[in-house]
Amino acid sequence: MSAAQKHWKAKDIAKDVEVLSPPDDLSTLPEPYASNGLEPDYKAKKPEWAQRYCASLDGFVALDTLERPENEEAKKEFVERFLVGLEKLFSEVNANTVQPLMLTTDFCAKCNTCSDSCHIYLSSNGDELLRPSYRTDVLRRMYKKYFTPSGRYLGGLVGADVDVTWESIARLGELAYRCNLCRRCAQACPLGLDNGLVAKEIRKLFSQELGVAPTPVHDKGTMLQLKVGSTTGLTKAAFLDNLEFIEEDIYERTGRKIKFPVDKKGADMLVMHNAGEFIAWPDNPAAFAILLDEAGVDWTLSSDMMGYDSVNYGIWYDDVQARKVALGQFKVAKELGVRRIVVGECGHAHKAIAIAADRMTTAEDRVPVESFIPVMAEFVRQGKLKFDPSKNNFPVTFHDPCNIVRQMGIVMPEREILKACAPQFREMTPHGVHNFCCGGGSGIALMNSYNFSDYRNKVTARKKFEQIINAFGEDFTNPDVVKYVCAPCSNCKGTIRDILKFYSATSTYNVQYGGLVELMVNGLASMEKPYLEFLQD
Amino acid sequence: MEAALPLAIFVIIALAAFLLLSAKKFVDYSRWSKHARFDLYPVPKEGSKKNEYGGSYYEENEWWEKGRSTSAVTELLDIGQEMFFIRKLFIHQRGLWYFSFLFHFGLYFLFGWSVLLLIGGLIYPCPEWFAVIIGIVGYIGFIIATIGCCGLLLRRIFSKSARINMTPIEYFNLFFLLAVLVTGIISWLWFADPIVIAHEVFTLSLVNVPPIVIAHLIMLGILLIYIPMSRMGHYVGKFFAFHGMWDNDPNTAGSKVEQNVIEMGKRQPKDHWAAPHTQA
Repeated sequence: MSAAQKHWKAKDIAKDVEVLSPPDDLSTLPEPYASNGLEPDYKAKKPEWAQRYCASLDGFVALDTLERPENEEAKKEFVERFLVGLEKLFSEVNANTVQPLMLTTDFCAKCNTCSDSCHIYLSSNGDELLRPSYRTDVLRRMYKKYFTPSGRYLGGLVGADVDVTWESIARLGELAYRCNLCRRCAQACPLGLDNGLVAKEIRKLFSQELGVAPTPVHDKGTMLQLKVGSTTGLTKAAFLDNLEFIEEDIYERTGRKIKFPVDKKGADMLVMHNAGEFIAWPDNPAAFAILLDEAGVDWTLSSDMMGYDSVNYGIWYDDVQARKVALGQFKVAKELGVRRIVVGECGHAHKAIAIAADRMTTAEDRVPVESFIPVMAEFVRQGKLKFDPSKNNFPVTFHDPCNIVRQMGIVMPEREILKACAPQFREMTPHGVHNFCCGGGSGIALMNSYNFSDYRNKVTARKKFEQIINAFGEDFTNPDVVKYVCAPCSNCKGTIRDILKFYSATSTYNVQYGGLVELMVNGLASMEKPYLEFLQD
Repeated sequence: MEAALPLAIFVIIALAAFLLLSAKKFVDYSRWSKHARFDLYPVPKEGSKKNEYGGSYYEENEWWEKGRSTSAVTELLDIGQEMFFIRKLFIHQRGLWYFSFLFHFGLYFLFGWSVLLLIGGLIYPCPEWFAVIIGIVGYIGFIIATIGCCGLLLRRIFSKSARINMTPIEYFNLFFLLAVLVTGIISWLWFADPIVIAHEVFTLSLVNVPPIVIAHLIMLGILLIYIPMSRMGHYVGKFFAFHGMWDNDPNTAGSKVEQNVIEMGKRQPKDHWAAPHTQA
């Protein structure tokens, strides 16, 4: 079905069709991908997925915990529970969020200005289902139908025309996970309304009322973190083992004997990493250790259960879980007596502990939080970190993580660092606070159940891939020129890793990726050998 | 005269209702103003020119040790551009902006015209130069608001993407506005002097009102009561929406934000979420 035919009305969410809107008409990627045939097709879908879950939105399954009820009675009960949750969403129990939610549902003028700011809508060639205000429209109409006098008595005249059925609710839940919560749409809204926030509120309703959330985000996310200390499953013992391994690796690769400081009481800074780095990208915490050692900083890591993984998936879908994690992390910092928490390369961890958790408790129970970026920029300014830019003399582009940039306002210090250490740095278009999301934001980077990774690689991350191709220009197709996509966020980095692999961009065109600190270490004047693996002999 | 007096009273009540219902809406939203942070940059009050590129105090190393630079001027300039020129629409959707701007700017003129009429009616007979100003403001307001309203309506009718999610009530709103504007133009161009009518309304001495003017005043009154209760009342919401995104004040010891956090912590909602993990 071409996107031109995808003019869905809000009430179509309840339409009795097998698949409402498959993403089969995507935007054309720039050359060489417009013609090189390297873009893989979707993996074949299995009929049993649709039998067991809701695959009727677009053929993909994000909510792998929402199984189809076995009978009509169970369906009816689900609808009733949803309506109870829907009412709560607009009540005092949701007081921390109810104002922007109400404003968005009350006042959206349907000008569709948000549409063209959404990378997913653009990638779908304008599928109305993916318009940022579509899910708001559905939610508004459902609420209106059951909880307002005008909706009850005037029905379709005032837009209270969406059938609330198991299928339409499940599709709405799925639709909330076709949004990266990047809030670029809110930035463009002439009324200051926040359709990204509405997507998160729908996720919240599903999780906090219905107990439904994607497994990687909830069961293997916040629940696992609160149980063993990390969403990766990394235990304290394994964490300490990993540190030893990384210390040995640093010595072998750089000749530097660096010991990770752990649980050092009264240290100046507690550095918190996304634990995924210790497992998937150990070069990253190693690079932090090298830089902090070179700058002569009094720092520590924590081995406490809530201290060695900075992530907080709760901010994507569940306020209760977000609060538990954040307060646990603050408690660790208070007990260690550190002066500040410095968040490593994890975008959502930045936002979670610096912004979302800022109003969860009083200053007495918290310690100041800052990003590693201004900390490192200050070391560069002070001359504590000195670079030999010729070591990074290859094209570098920078991906602005939405949580650090658009949602926290850290824009210039990273550019200051890049200008000091990467002579061929070039911006993506657009960039800074107007960047496009990597396509993995809000948990989508982690969700790989069934065919969902295809959706990410082909749809949500499509705009980012387009930006990467364009940023490198003529250099892109030259495999003799190594190119580096710098992404100082674990989830962004994971998404970019996946798209580079999916589109064979690394193997065909020599496009590499990594964090900011790895690039900094590679450019350190004091380094004898390249630090980035792809530069090593 | 007997018929005209209730009309005058109705118009005054409608004006009062517009103000009171708008104020009520403002108070209703204010009730939820102590909330979590929803920072979205650029935040215009950020000082040291950070507002120009979307930076914040988090760009400073050890930001909490440094004085924070904010500017009420840049915030006012920004909200002014949004209120009067609908800047974001101008940037992101120029085609719609032309009509939306004309419509809203026309309404601002008509709001100003109403205030001038109130003054002109109360000091009646007003000086000629004042009457000329009232006339010019009114002409401009009616003309550009009507052009804008027609443009928006035509867009809703003929643009598939605009039409797709409109409800009947949203067409009704624009038709209703258009009807008020058109009857207003006819009334004040050919059938009555708005300053005389304003004088007679506010002094409760309304007499000999032509039918078209009666129709206009009745519809205007209903519109004034209806606007704050409908989606057209978004002028109230816009204030809260933008300030929600710009409310990036940190929760530091002894700050007003901290006081709010303490009060937020005392909330005792009667409902609780039902999922088992929320109970633990």
